[in-house]
Amino acid sequence: MSVQFTDVVKRYGATAAVSGISFTVESGTLVTLLGPSGCGKTTTLRMIAGLELPSAGRIEIAGRDVTRLSATQRDVSMVFQSYALFPHMSVLENVAYGLRRSAIAREEATRRAREGLATVGLAGYDERQPSQLSGGQQQRVAVARALVLKPSVLLFDEPLSNLDARLRRQMREEIRDLQCRLALTVVYVTHDQQEAMAVSDRIIVMNAGRIEQQGTPRELYEKPATPYLAHFMGESNPARGDVRRLDGSRVRVRLGSAEIEIPDATAAEGPAMVAVRPEAITVEAAPGPAGALPGTIAKANYLGTHMEYSIDTEAGTLFATCPRVDRPLAAADKVALVLAPRGVIVVRE
Amino acid sequence: MIARAALIWVAAGVLAIVLVPWYALEDGLGSGSWLAGLWSSDEAASGLAQAVGHGKWWLAPTFAALASCLVVSLAPLAPGRRGTWLVVASACGLVLFAAQAFAVSLHGWTAGWMTSWFGELDGRQFGIGAGGTLVLIAFLSLLSIGLALRGAFGGDAFVAGAMTAVTSSILLFTAWPILHILAQAFQDQDGALRPLLVVERLAEPKIWSLRCLAGGGGCGVAWNTLFLALCCGVGSTALGLAFALIVTRTSFRFKKILRVLTVLPIITPPFVIGLALILVFGRSGLVNQFLDWGFGVVATRWIYGFPGVLLAQLFAFTPVAFLVLIGVVEGVSPTLEEASQTLRASPWATFVTVSLPLMIPGLANAFLVGFIESIADFGNPIVLGGDFGVLSTEIYFAVVGAQLDYGRAAALALLLLALALGAFFLQRRVVGGRSYATISGKGDAGLPTPLPRAGRRIAQWVALPWAAFTILLYGFTFVGGLVKVWGRDYTPTLNHYIKAFAIERAPQGVIWSGAAWNSFWTTVELAAIAAPLTAALGLIAAWLLVRQRFAGRGALEFVTMLSFAVPGTVIGVAYVFAFNVPPLEITGWALIIVLCFVFRNMAVGLRAGMAAMSQIDRSLDEASATLRGRAPQTLFYVVMPLLRPAVVGALVYGFVRAVTTVSAVVFLVTAEYDLATTYIILRVINGDYGLAIAYSCALIVLMLAAILLIQFLVGDRRLGRRAP
Repeated sequence: MSVQFTDVVKRYGATAAVSGISFTVESGTLVTLLGPSGCGKTTTLRMIAGLELPSAGRIEIAGRDVTRLSATQRDVSMVFQSYALFPHMSVLENVAYGLRRSAIAREEATRRAREGLATVGLAGYDERQPSQLSGGQQQRVAVARALVLKPSVLLFDEPLSNLDARLRRQMREEIRDLQCRLALTVVYVTHDQQEAMAVSDRIIVMNAGRIEQQGTPRELYEKPATPYLAHFMGESNPARGDVRRLDGSRVRVRLGSAEIEIPDATAAEGPAMVAVRPEAITVEAAPGPAGALPGTIAKANYLGTHMEYSIDTEAGTLFATCPRVDRPLAAADKVALVLAPRGVIVVRE
Repeated sequence: MIARAALIWVAAGVLAIVLVPWYALEDGLGSGSWLAGLWSSDEAASGLAQAVGHGKWWLAPTFAALASCLVVSLAPLAPGRRGTWLVVASACGLVLFAAQAFAVSLHGWTAGWMTSWFGELDGRQFGIGAGGTLVLIAFLSLLSIGLALRGAFGGDAFVAGAMTAVTSSILLFTAWPILHILAQAFQDQDGALRPLLVVERLAEPKIWSLRCLAGGGGCGVAWNTLFLALCCGVGSTALGLAFALIVTRTSFRFKKILRVLTVLPIITPPFVIGLALILVFGRSGLVNQFLDWGFGVVATRWIYGFPGVLLAQLFAFTPVAFLVLIGVVEGVSPTLEEASQTLRASPWATFVTVSLPLMIPGLANAFLVGFIESIADFGNPIVLGGDFGVLSTEIYFAVVGAQLDYGRAAALALLLLALALGAFFLQRRVVGGRSYATISGKGDAGLPTPLPRAGRRIAQWVALPWAAFTILLYGFTFVGGLVKVWGRDYTPTLNHYIKAFAIERAPQGVIWSGAAWNSFWTTVELAAIAAPLTAALGLIAAWLLVRQRFAGRGALEFVTMLSFAVPGTVIGVAYVFAFNVPPLEITGWALIIVLCFVFRNMAVGLRAGMAAMSQIDRSLDEASATLRGRAPQTLFYVVMPLLRPAVVGALVYGFVRAVTTVSAVVFLVTAEYDLATTYIILRVINGDYGLAIAYSCALIVLMLAAILLIQFLVGDRRLGRRAP
């Protein structure tokens, strides 16, 4: 185990930024802390780095209790949101900085810094100033600078937020690549659900200083535990439904006049909160097949790749995406909604 | 590793007790003659010898505290627990150290109640010397290490140490002298406490008289000071605003010259303007001579008194107000003004209803600076005041004059301090948390709105003649040093310079025979020692305040701000009183002057450092920390290189202020350590203007050279920006 948090609390005065969280990060995996701004994810990351010390609880890194150790004393390095490249040093000096501070001789430090730059594909950029590099290159320098110290844990604080959309996809693939190739242990912070799903082995979703749920990207998307999570991990429509258990692994959910069978081993019988994924709704012309949910189009938007509909139904207004753009429906059209079982989730309230 | 540092400091303390003279020696440690008397001599004995062999038993508890620190450092304890005990032991040591230092003085117990409690004390002690100082430093270091071990300051001993050093030195050299002067005001000549005495001292008609309103004679010095300061504050703010508006909001062509004018007063001793005014308006000045020659008008002495002092102060302090206001005027967001104009407000209405209100905090700041500079000013009132007395000159005469009434000086200093702090708190109340600094990280695409025509006219009619006259004054100053006797004999001569700065070649070598050399070299030497210390202390304090989070941060910032508001005259008097007697007996040494320079001027280094540091992204520090850079390494490899402009500023300011300051050091100089400014002031008082002017010009040149040298040595910040 590379990182272990046990009941860690961080208070600023009276307010708790992080209120009692526990998790572990296995070595060689990439774990993402995901959540909206102000949820405590960055504070958690900074507590791993040692830039903040917890108010209570225990932090272990590589089996060592580091709870009260400062950043300098921990075997951790970090890639900052702003990259934090030292503007008065060349690229090589930046990358060699941590090695020099660890009392490694100049030649050795330079050699390893060059190696690090080569790893991120920036060989030959030694003498450039950080300001002469593009955003993506600066990002790679920041990664190389953190990598050359061979830390037990590498931390990323929203590393892609300063890049444009296209570059963001490329950089996240590079980071994931690097992590797999060097078997790095990485803790990654982002507020972007797609980015988190693309890079992570595991995701820890945080909300208001607590861990909402943790698991693999698939588990979180397909089995969100709460309405909040269902909405945060991809979009979803909250709806009131009624659950009837069929057997140990299946339930029947009633939404308005529609009924649908889904696999679920835990949900209790009775009225329940149901999340419906927009992409799981197929919009057909009324009356539609048996078990479909009747509705009326309230709004229709054309987005090129797909249509977006807001549909008034007995179970509330549902938001649906529809890949069929050739035969669009218009407001006030009567429709029938067919719900795919994989996109209907019974959530705990 | 931290625990080993504790052991080293304990060892240093023990060595200091055993091998270094405990008390201050008359002729310092340099000669080495103290080595022989380390055990036997009453003066030069080490701490241990004093306690064992010379009956200074009261030192023993302090030594015991150090011994307990040793035990704590060696005992097998968990880091947190060791830290707690180290804090306890070293804090005990500090308390015991302070207790014995203040309890026993030159004549046994310092207070009567001690004698009645403990009986007559057969013993005395002098000021703390090298040994005592080292032990004090050891205790402070051990305290920091203890705090760091307990996890304070992020567990970093360097931060804890810097914190302890800054706090304790500010307490010792700013807070303690000022508290001391407070106490002095309530004591009579024999040191007995008489609370009502301060009322008696301050109730004199000489201070509060309002006769001038009734038309008979002069007003009290308190009213004089207050009225002068109000006029100076309002006047310099108005003039500074006019200059700032011209530079930022008009297409005036000679903006560069205005910028240069703002540098001149900073490198000019404050009384030089007063001197120049005498050359122009004095009895044998140009104006009076012209009137006498042309119209037979008899020369008047109107320049000596309130008008002259006010004029001199306005000339001297307007540039400072300009410097404060230009940032404020530039900081007003053009977008807000453009918004106002799109809402149908005329340029004039926009200026009055949007721009001006946004500048109010800046105007209040500029006023405060003018007000405090005025009440602290000593040079101009002494040169031009005549019968018009103000508090600072009154304090001077109470200390050095025939009165020799320290209690009165303390009471007057108290009044001066109250005025300064009153203005300071009033300003904080008025401005409060309102800051309209509208510079943000986001780009502001708007263009500054040009000043409306009427406003431009007013600003130019006020500011430009003023600027021209300033240039004229400096010109006269320069010329004044090159003529025989101003007003009578305008024959060009170098005599004044020769008299001041003659160098003769003699068989035994070069003789610095000029009258000014002694004070000149002392000034250069002390300023050169003080400048780096000032800059270092100011910048480290700034680093602590901006970058470190710790309990009591607000209090520390407040105390340093406060020391900024204390007039130099008060600091000078306070130093004389506080450091004239044991335990800290340093009056008459060069050390006291250096300390005065450092703690008087560090506030500026602090402000500059804080402003510059808050522009540097905090994540750079954090990046360094996660890359194994310890706090001192981060400070030296990352923060300082990025702070070069602030470093230059603090060094220059530390040096220049040390050279030009008068008010604080006029009480501290001695025949041995005379300074340039005090020397010049004495020449002026004696009517020897030629030499004084020549010397002042030489000082201005010296400071220009120093500024260039410092700029050259520290170099530019390398940011590797793209070439445009």
